[in-house]
This record gives sequence, structure tokens and C-alpha cells, in this order.
Amino acid sequence: MESLKMMLVDDEERFLSTTQKLLQKKGYDVLVASGGAEALELLRIHPVHVVILDVKMPGMDGNATLKEIKRLFPMIEVIMLTGHATVESAIDGLKSGASDYLMKPADVGDLIQKAEEAYARRQHLESKIRVAQMRKLMGSPREIIQASEE
Amino acid sequence: MQMNEKKFSDIKNYVLASMILVPVIPFILILSIGFYHFKTSIETSTVATMKRIVEDHRQLIEAFLDERRADLEFVCDTYTFEGLTTPATLRTVFGHLQKESKAFVDIGVFNRGGIHLAYQGPYRLEGKLYKDADWFQKVLTHGYYISDVFLGYRNVPHFVIAIARRDAAREWVIRATIDSQTFCTLVGSVRIGSTGEAYIINSEGVLQTQRRSGGGLMDKPEEEIDFSTAQNQTDSFLKKNRDGSQYLYTTAKLKDRQWLLIVRQEQNDAFVALRSTIFMTAVIWVAGGLIIIVIAFYLTHRIVWRLEKIDREKEQLNQQLIGASRLAELGEMAAGFAHEINNPLQIIKNEQSLIEMTFTELKERGELKDSEAAAEIQDAMSQIQIQIGRCAKITQAILKFGRQGEPVMQDIALNAFIQEVAGMVEKKASVSGIVVDKHLAETEAFVHGDPAQLQQVLINLFNNAIDAVVEKHGNIGGKIFIETRPDLNGTVSIRIQDNGNGIRPENMKKIFSPFFTTKPVGQGTGLGLAVCYGIINNMNGTMAVDSTCGSGTTFTIRLPVK
Repeated sequence: MESLKMMLVDDEERFLSTTQKLLQKKGYDVLVASGGAEALELLRIHPVHVVILDVKMPGMDGNATLKEIKRLFPMIEVIMLTGHATVESAIDGLKSGASDYLMKPADVGDLIQKAEEAYARRQHLESKIRVAQMRKLMGSPREIIQASEE
Repeated sequence: MQMNEKKFSDIKNYVLASMILVPVIPFILILSIGFYHFKTSIETSTVATMKRIVEDHRQLIEAFLDERRADLEFVCDTYTFEGLTTPATLRTVFGHLQKESKAFVDIGVFNRGGIHLAYQGPYRLEGKLYKDADWFQKVLTHGYYISDVFLGYRNVPHFVIAIARRDAAREWVIRATIDSQTFCTLVGSVRIGSTGEAYIINSEGVLQTQRRSGGGLMDKPEEEIDFSTAQNQTDSFLKKNRDGSQYLYTTAKLKDRQWLLIVRQEQNDAFVALRSTIFMTAVIWVAGGLIIIVIAFYLTHRIVWRLEKIDREKEQLNQQLIGASRLAELGEMAAGFAHEINNPLQIIKNEQSLIEMTFTELKERGELKDSEAAAEIQDAMSQIQIQIGRCAKITQAILKFGRQGEPVMQDIALNAFIQEVAGMVEKKASVSGIVVDKHLAETEAFVHGDPAQLQQVLINLFNNAIDAVVEKHGNIGGKIFIETRPDLNGTVSIRIQDNGNGIRPENMKKIFSPFFTTKPVGQGTGLGLAVCYGIINNMNGTMAVDSTCGSGTTFTIRLPVK
């Protein structure tokens, strides 16, 4: 199992740098991006497990970025960082595939907890997929021949 | 505002004009038409009556004259010329005639030459010659003649009836004098009103009978009467007297005669009924007009006053609406601010975490010794954390409040909820020296509703309480008392009591009305309690107020318990 890799996406530079420092002190691997476009670029090169995404950003806003991430990298878990909870954008986010949300100002401890939870979920999902794939590989020779003939 | 005044002045004038003209015009019309018809009817009937009178009177007079002639004819038929010229016989005849009618003054017989052969009467007329007398010539021509009034030999006004007879032997004339007094009485005895009279004039306008209003026999009155009326026709017309008064005349020509019977009456006397009507009509007209005008003024005044009042209220409502919408805008802005502030708040929080972490590292690495300064820094950092938490709570509260969404009904733990909400306003209360006393029920009660809305209600009531208390006590001595208590029928009651000035009795009824506020313009929309009432109502609860002027107010909310 790989260790948890995170990405922070927020338009506030200071937030990114300080939070990154804090997380790294705790032993996590953290990438940062200051906008949605930059985040997507970075993800192509350095895929991560969990993305922590600010909802309100200039340019490509949180929701649009979320949709793109889910489209291009469906296995990445996304946690929304929102100004206040249960607002339409957070609900929309959850509907669009975000796995959780955090309210600003967020405690670093809460952030880590949510990220770990998301990572655990992803691991669970991945193992299930592996099992399913293996089952498929371990199917009867007849099935394999049939499958290859199709 | 000036335009408004002019507008109201115009409306006032318009309404006033309508209210006066609309009733007055038909009123005048009806009165006038009624009066005109009445006048016409009176005149017509009066004239008709007069005509009937003159007609009847004419027949009476003609009958009289015919009878007198018949009397004479009878005498002529009954007696011979010889007999009539015998004085004794003539006396007998005259006696009989006088029995017939007292109008006979005398009787005489004449020969063809005009000599008065025989006479019976008060005068000495025997032997007098009448050949040249107008009446004598006329009777010889016509065989029968009634003369005009003349003086004759006796020098007294009188008129005669004469008959000419012809037989084989001779032509002779018999003549009788009619007592003018009797005749005058006969003719003039008509009495109509106070000035009505009847008299006869001849073709030259000479009076043949005495006239009651002035004019003796054979006088000629000044007015010119048209003599050309046809036989058997009655005429009527108006004519002015010498002294200026107007008379209504009706005339009829006596047959066989050139005499005109006149019945006349002073116009005012004839149409006396009209005068009282004119007077009455005028009174009604004036009185009615005045009443209409007075009522019109009064009603107009009321209408315009009402219009102005409504206009003012509308203006007031407008102002309040503007106030309300501005408040709504403020709410939106506040939400925006809260949002914005959360960002730097987040950074500060993170930085603080970093500082704390680094500080701890330094201590662990032994680079930082325990000292007073270090302790102070530690303390300051925890303080920063606390304050950040406080900021966060404030922004969260604002955002929750500003949110406009569908109410999310859920179960609310009442005591805990009230604690939380009270916490929000406690700082504001303590700044004004208000003591907040909480008495919450021992067991938790659950009510069903939207937390945001319930929060709105409680905050509204708290704020009102704070305002009331500050108004009365200033900065010291204010008390707000909050209590929850389970009630009968499965409800829980929430009481919020303050020791402010209380609510005036006349305002108690209006307290839950929208836009009712006792705060000056710009400081309150008057929507608070109205909205609260609605919210509690939707939660199937009740909201009531009790107040004593000068000692305080209590709001009681009852909600059904889940």
C-alpha cells in the first residue's frame, strides 16, 4: 500500500504554503496548485489519492474542477473546502462526486482525518476491484475461450 | 409634496363640482318643469272658469232681455192699440208687467209719427215727440229694438225695449223702460275673488252698466277694448289698467246687440294660487340647493381627507418597504462579508497551528527553555486560537441567518438550542449591563421545525427585549428572563420576559401586525414580530404577549412536543 498522497487546491498562496508545511511536518506527501487548471495539469504528471479543493476560486471554480477531476481521474477522492456547509455548492459537489466537505476555517487535524478516511475508502474500493478482476482471470477455460472469441 | 397638494386640490374641486352639479341640475330641472306645468294648468283652468262664467252670465242677461221682449210681445198680442192707448187699460197692463219683473219702469205707446200717445210711469212724457229719437227710428226699421243707455227727456240714464207693430189700420210702437238699477244689479252681481267684476259696454266703449271698480253709467273707461269679437264667441286676454295693474278679461257679445259683456279680474287675484306656489317653489329651491351644497362640501371634505389619509399611509408603507428591502440587502451583504472573512480566517488558523507546532518542536529539541516569556507566548497562542474560534462562530451565525432557503424541518432539542441562541446575544446583552437569567426545564423537549427559523424568532425576541430594557434602564439594571417549561396537552412553553417599559395598551392589538413598529424610521421595519408569528404558526404553535406598562413584557411561545 502506498502512503497517502494529497493535493491542495486553493487560490490563497499563504494558505497553500502554510498548510503544506504543517502536513509535511506530520509526514504527508503534499502537492499544491493555486487554480483548477494548474491542478489538472499537475494531476496528469503526478497523480495523487486525495485532492482537497476550495469551492470558490477565480477562473475555473471548484465545482467545474471537481467535475473534470472525476471525469479524467475517477479514482481520485475529492474533499470540498467550503465557506459554509450545506450551501447549494457543497450539495452540488457531493452530487457531482465529492466524497466529503470541510467548513472554513478548517482545523488541520480535521483535514487530515477526512483525508485518511477518503484514502481508506479508496483503498477498500481498489481491493474490491482487484478481487473482481482476479475472479475474472480465474474463471473456467471455457469462459476464457468464449470471452476471447467474442 | 407640492405636486401632491395640487393634485388633492384638483381632486377636491372635481369631487365638489360633481357633488353639487349632479344633484342640483336634475333638481332644478324637475322643479322648473313641475312649476311650469302647474302654472300653465292654473292659468288654463282659471281662464276656462272665467270663460264659463262669462258665458253663463251672457246667457242669463240674454234670457232676461228675451223675457222682457216676450213680455211686451205678449202685451201687444193680448191688447189692441185702442185698449193700450186707454190710460186705465195701460195702467192695468203696466201693473201686470211690473208683477212679471220689477225691471219695468214705465210703458208707453207711440204712433207712427213718434208722438207719445199713452204713458204709464213716474215721468211726464205724454205727448212728447220721439220722431228723431235714435231708438224710434231703429225700432221702425227692425220691428224690435233695445237701446243703449241714454238720458232722454227724463235726464236720467236708462234704456228701453221697443216693439213696432203693424196691422191693417196703422203702425204703432210700444216701448218699455228698463230700470237701469235692476239691470246693473243683474249684470254686476258676479263676484269672483276679490277684484272680479262684470259689466257691459257698447260699441263705443261706453258703460251700459255700473262697474264696481269705478265707472258709472255712460262713463267711458280708458282702456280700449277690441269690439270685433265674433258673435257667440268668448274671448280672453290680458290688459293693463290705467293704474298699472294687469287684468284678465273675458268678453262675450250679446246677441242681437252691439253690447259686449266683460268679466274681468285682476291678474294677481285670478292666479292667486300661483303666487303661493311660486313662493313655495322658491323656498324649496333655495333650501334644497343649500342642503345639497352643504352636504356636498361635507362629503367632499370627508372624501378628500380619506384620500389624503390613504395616500399618507401608502407613502408610509412605501418607506417601510424600502427599509425592509434595504435590510434584506444588508443581510445579503453580510453573508458576502462573512464568506470573505472566512478565507483570511482560515489562513490565520493555519498559521497559528504552524506556530504552535514549531514552538512545540523547539521545546522538544531543547532550543527553547521554559521561561516566563515562553509561557506567555504559549498563552498568547492559545488565546489566538480561541479568538479565531470566536470569529468563526460569528461568521457561521451570520451565514446561517442570511440564508434564504426552504425551511428544513427537523427535530430540535429545545434547551440546547436556546442555550446556543442565547449565547449569541449574551455578549450584546452584557455590554448594556443586562442580566440574562435562564431557567430551562430539567428534561429536554424536542420540537419540530426549521432551526434557522426558530433561531430567527428567538433572536428577534431577545433583541426586542434588549431594546426595551435599555430604553428603560439605560446601562444598569436590565433583566431578561428565559424559561422553558413543559405544559399540558403535550406542549412546551418558552417564556422570554424583560423588565423594560412594557407595551402600551393601544398597541397591544397591533403588535403582531406587519409594519407596525414603535421605533423611529430607519431603525425597525416592523416585520420582526409579524414574521415570528408566522413561523410559530407554521410550527403549529402559538405566540402570545402579556405586558404591564412600566414594568415589563413577557412573550410566551407554545410549541407541540414531539
